[in-house]
Amino acid sequence: MEREVIQSVGFRNIKENGEIVGFQLKIRQPYYRGVFLSQIKPGNLMVDGELFTKDQIIWKVNGEEYTAEDMRKDRYTHWHPMEPATLIIKKAGGLSQGYHDLEYGFCSTHSYMPPMMEDLSDPTKEEVIYMPEFGHNLHRRRLLIV
Amino acid sequence: MYQDTRKGPKRGVSLYSYSGEFGFEKNLEDCFEDIYDMGAHGIEILANTHIENYPYPTDAWVDNWFRLLDKYDLVPVEYGHWVDSRVLQDRYLTTEEAAEFLERDLRLAHRLGFRILRTKMPVITDTLEPVENWKDIIRAVLPLAERLGLTMCPEIHIPTNLNSKMVREYVDFIKETGTTSFALNIDFSVFRTGYAEGEFRSPGFVENKPEDIIPLLPYVACCHAKFFHVNDEFEETMVPYKEILHILAEHGWNGYLLSEYEGADKYEPGYCVGDTLRRHHIMMKRILGD
Repeated sequence: MEREVIQSVGFRNIKENGEIVGFQLKIRQPYYRGVFLSQIKPGNLMVDGELFTKDQIIWKVNGEEYTAEDMRKDRYTHWHPMEPATLIIKKAGGLSQGYHDLEYGFCSTHSYMPPMMEDLSDPTKEEVIYMPEFGHNLHRRRLLIV
Repeated sequence: MYQDTRKGPKRGVSLYSYSGEFGFEKNLEDCFEDIYDMGAHGIEILANTHIENYPYPTDAWVDNWFRLLDKYDLVPVEYGHWVDSRVLQDRYLTTEEAAEFLERDLRLAHRLGFRILRTKMPVITDTLEPVENWKDIIRAVLPLAERLGLTMCPEIHIPTNLNSKMVREYVDFIKETGTTSFALNIDFSVFRTGYAEGEFRSPGFVENKPEDIIPLLPYVACCHAKFFHVNDEFEETMVPYKEILHILAEHGWNGYLLSEYEGADKYEPGYCVGDTLRRHHIMMKRILGD
């Protein structure tokens, strides 16, 4: 696992029945403790300026796929900090060969912190108060599709 | 399993200290060996971080857990976990749901050989007051905790004062229920007197004098030996350790001091928290004379 939240391993187009139907990338938690899926606030993915909203992104955790709606309700599935999650995005033809600028935002709720902290946290924006232990909301990386 | 039969305050480490390196430079066994190097025997883990497949580790993982404890003479002292009452973003868990959440951790802590849990309460205010139904939640799981021989401890941490209403309510609860399954974990940040230049200070925080811990000692199951800056003479400059540890020893307090380093610098790449922890353990070893 790499320290960068967006991992270089796992970034590729997805082929089904010989056709490219989308792409995927992997992310790790920028935070030291695991969270249940309902604690996660998924945000937007930008690829070279193209916007994919949270409802267009499937999270794959422990081998199972979840929509943003599934995640909101799931307080039993635990995302471990040492296990990167895969983000799956449907896009006919996938991403072109070459470099892509990726930006993905997400954050989580933590019941042991004052509720005010959660009200302030917006996964589509830079955090209001940066705390190294929680990491940033927005993560960027430039990666290659072969 | 190894038993540390020494009386008095004993040295240990909270694996939270390694949170900048865990999963990168260090795995579970590396942390254990590092603690063994320090001659410390107690450990605290964070359930959601250090247990693979939490909350349902495999039997093979649990077997390896006990093998590693044996290999490095470690005692599983404290199981760190959270009552995430706001696990759902649109409402708080009911008492029954929170109790179910908590019971899963009690069973797992017991399976891994722990006797004490650092039960992180969900908070509702900036001053870290717990949810209004905390007593109902704890009361609901006391029978299971008592049956499994487990003690749940809220952590008393800066900006809370030991003489505050919050601490008094926890102690009253212990007295009212007569339980031995609920106690306190005192984090030494409550004694903090020093700050680096420009460092954040919790508004309204008043530090405790070391002797303020004395009336609480019957209810203190373990301590987070919080430290901030151990200088090259191996003295902590921001917490009066000598006074605190002498008080614990003189009053016959019997438990573990779990080193917990939470300085933000530990997340900087290349930072080695093992060095920071060793400084702290040289300091505690000198004071305790072990």
